[in-house]
Amino acid sequence: MKDLKNLIFFENLLLEANNELVQKAQSEGKVCACYTCENTPEVLLNLDGCFSARLRAPRTGSLDISTYYMTSFLCEYSRALLERAIEGGYNFADCIITPDGCSMMNRCIENMELLKAVGKGKDKFFFEYMEIPMKADDNGLNLYVLQCKNHILKPLNETFGIDTSDAAIRKAVKEHNHICELIRAIGDYRKEENPRITGYEFNVITLATYVAPKYLIVDKLEETLEELKTRQPDDTNRFRARVMVVGSEVDDTDFVKLIEDSGAYVCADRFCYGSLPGRNPIILNDEEDALTQICRQYMMRGECPRFMNTDKMDHRRVYVDELAKEYKADGIIYEQMKFCDPWAYEKMMGSQILRNKYGYPVLAVDRPYSIGTSGQMQTRVQAFVESIEIKKIQRGEANG
Amino acid sequence: MALFLHVLKIIAIVIVALFALTFTVYIFNLDMKLTAAIEPWLLKHYDKIDRDQHL
Amino acid sequence: MAKQIGADRFGDFYIEGSRVRKRREWRGFVDTMYDYSRWLKIMMTLGKFVMKPRNVKAMFRYRWMANYLAVPMMVDRHTQGLRGEYLRICHEEQDLVIDDVAKLLDSLFRGDRRIGNDKKFSDKVVLVDENEMTAVMMGFPTLKVLSRETPSTYVSVLLNQRAACHYIDVAQEFGLAGDVCPMPEAEAGVSIDDDAPILGACAIQCNTTCDGSLLGNGVISQRLEHEDGIPVFQLAAPLRHREDDVQEYAAQEIRNAIAFVEKHTGVKWDWKAYFECAKRVNYATKCRQEWLEMNRTPYPQVFGSNLALYTETNYMAICGRVPAFEKADRKITKLARQAYAKKKMAAKEYRHRAIVWGVQSHYYMDFLVWLLNCWGIVPLTDMLSMVSTKEIAEVDTPENREQAIYDMAWLTENMIMRNRTHGGYKVLLDELWEFVEMFNADMVILWEHMSCKALDGMHGLFEEKAREKGIPLVWVSHDLFDPRIISRQGVRDQINSFMRTVMQEEPIDPSLEILPDDQSW
Repeated sequence: MKDLKNLIFFENLLLEANNELVQKAQSEGKVCACYTCENTPEVLLNLDGCFSARLRAPRTGSLDISTYYMTSFLCEYSRALLERAIEGGYNFADCIITPDGCSMMNRCIENMELLKAVGKGKDKFFFEYMEIPMKADDNGLNLYVLQCKNHILKPLNETFGIDTSDAAIRKAVKEHNHICELIRAIGDYRKEENPRITGYEFNVITLATYVAPKYLIVDKLEETLEELKTRQPDDTNRFRARVMVVGSEVDDTDFVKLIEDSGAYVCADRFCYGSLPGRNPIILNDEEDALTQICRQYMMRGECPRFMNTDKMDHRRVYVDELAKEYKADGIIYEQMKFCDPWAYEKMMGSQILRNKYGYPVLAVDRPYSIGTSGQMQTRVQAFVESIEIKKIQRGEANG
Repeated sequence: MALFLHVLKIIAIVIVALFALTFTVYIFNLDMKLTAAIEPWLLKHYDKIDRDQHL
Repeated sequence: MAKQIGADRFGDFYIEGSRVRKRREWRGFVDTMYDYSRWLKIMMTLGKFVMKPRNVKAMFRYRWMANYLAVPMMVDRHTQGLRGEYLRICHEEQDLVIDDVAKLLDSLFRGDRRIGNDKKFSDKVVLVDENEMTAVMMGFPTLKVLSRETPSTYVSVLLNQRAACHYIDVAQEFGLAGDVCPMPEAEAGVSIDDDAPILGACAIQCNTTCDGSLLGNGVISQRLEHEDGIPVFQLAAPLRHREDDVQEYAAQEIRNAIAFVEKHTGVKWDWKAYFECAKRVNYATKCRQEWLEMNRTPYPQVFGSNLALYTETNYMAICGRVPAFEKADRKITKLARQAYAKKKMAAKEYRHRAIVWGVQSHYYMDFLVWLLNCWGIVPLTDMLSMVSTKEIAEVDTPENREQAIYDMAWLTENMIMRNRTHGGYKVLLDELWEFVEMFNADMVILWEHMSCKALDGMHGLFEEKAREKGIPLVWVSHDLFDPRIISRQGVRDQINSFMRTVMQEEPIDPSLEILPDDQSW
């Protein structure tokens, strides 16, 4: 396949947290609101005058200092963020807004605050911690709305003078939805039998939408979608199986690359930082205020294992099944970042239930934050691909 | 009266004997030594029970 | 064999490779007779329990029941070296907990579909988590509030250090990562292993102490809801419990939980019963505060593992619902006052005054007794005992009925452990140093429960603060329910090396430094 014209542009955005578009937006006087968890309604950080950047720690090396502060038992994502903060890598942030999504992320940000690792030279810098619901119900919705008002809208308005009116929120939703629709349209090409976009390329593009100001990449996304309309896939499909990746935070594109290099096409991305459901558009009506509607949709669509009511828990597996069917996955890879408690449980539950109840071949793996070219992981994925092939042969599907 | 004293004596002997017995068990930790001997047998029994292991 | 405190070499009681100790302690005539009489009482409690055929049947059905063979030994471990009032306080607490657990077991097996199968009884049962504040059940006096996890895992590990290993292995065989907290892991293992009694009209789970606990409940509710047909309400207590803007949410969760119980049991909330319980909660708080007040002086009376274990039971699992605990509170306070007036000490020498912080090793709950006997370190109080001291509304008025909802929410948010592990760094990090000052402590024993992410996440800052304050801080690592990761001797070694190398001290009882208790219960 011919290379995508903007792929290198998108890849370059992922090389640094403080990427060139973040710098450009800040030079235009915009406020950079950083966040760490998918349960923070991203769209509220993209009101006029500010933009969101989800924190990553690309090219993470040693975690020595953060390991001293948080021990080796905390997940590497939280440690990598703290390490990068201590190195001064997040001083571009104008504020950090985080929910107590999980204990580890909470401790990571608290360490940043206590060590004064972020906000150097920024007089108005602030940290905000949110309580977000653990169940999807009316009570949870009331909490979500109140927390967004108190910990996102109010501080943004009072500190930076951001317009947080209903009209401003609706405008942000409109822009947000445009990005989501573009990502959805690009991602839909993954449903093709011989897809014209690889899982890696899609992963890079999606990730870029989380870490760069959206208004500065929208043209590149539109261009890429246009390009894809006429892009010709290779005559022969180099992949031997289609897999869906489900699990915890993945902001390392090498992980999807490794899977694809091992022979499995990543046809769907149901992980934190992925597009499903992270890039579902937010549908607003005119009867109810926008904030309540946003919170409701974040709460209802959230697939984070911290949601604890039975309906939500069951829905996590139902949703994976629905996506697997929609994207024609042959198998499912459940991944969990090492030391992530919520996903340790969900990986066990999901992999057992999807295998035993729904009949999918499932591979369950845990992984470090930066996978690099892990030989162990390659071997496991290759063996999984082979097992899927054998099952296909046994069912008489292979070779016509 | 003699009968009463006799009964009283028997009761006293029983109480003293019971005390001696239970106190010996208590001070030499014989109760725990016995249950420690029973435990391996019980564990083997649990291993034999058919269980519907699943999530 | 001596009447005097500290005259024995306690290490001599252990037998290499054995589950049990050589013999019980001679504490002088009066104290030995007292201890003997309490042992008889425990034997009678156990005897009464096994008289019922259904309990014997359960003994042969549930693997975790084997741990109850070790009940008297658990008491012995906690009474080591104690004399006079201290011995009596310890028995007051331990014996009541044993009695309460025996009743819990009896009730569980009565309603259990596999054992007693008393349907009528089961319909009055509401299941709760092991680590759950039962405040929400204070107004349901006619319902039975039972926890399956308390006897199967929590108490089991207190009795037998290896009690949870089998269930941890089962959960890991099903693909659960080995680095999660072994407590919810073992609880999930019990459910997977088909080893939990099945009963109840409904269940209330709670996002108790950590992410692991919350997710472990998800495993348990799979069977409960989807197979056993027992509806489950997940009570979500806010994590940032010190913030004003979460209290209304917390209160509404309580209202919803009450409505759920009413719906599934057909029993109406009883305000009279609630306020009766509230009075007892306040009384327990008052007593606990008085004990802690004494612990600030040179003559602490109610401290160590007894304080922790009793507070955990009384504050959280009982929460004013059982009058017997009020009686025990009164007796303990009376004994403590007596001993305090006589300036009594629990060991022959007090060298250091320590605050014990973090989550203690469950398989070595009597470690604090060892700390005192071996090194003369007085564990003045511990993190699990530093719970809410807020007085709740106890008079039945229309305003107080509304306030009561917020009080129950507050208690639920501030259940043991989660009141420190959640709610931001202030409650975990900053308040520790406030307590150090308040209790005139000269040392901090910091349990590092290695799979407790909320605690691990503050590791470096604890150290930095300790250096800044000039307070010796000893890390004691363990894995809560799994002695295979760090053994009891491994736990002791961390103190031994610190005391010898950093503090340059010799033990008070050198026979306790290395103990052959690897195979012990």
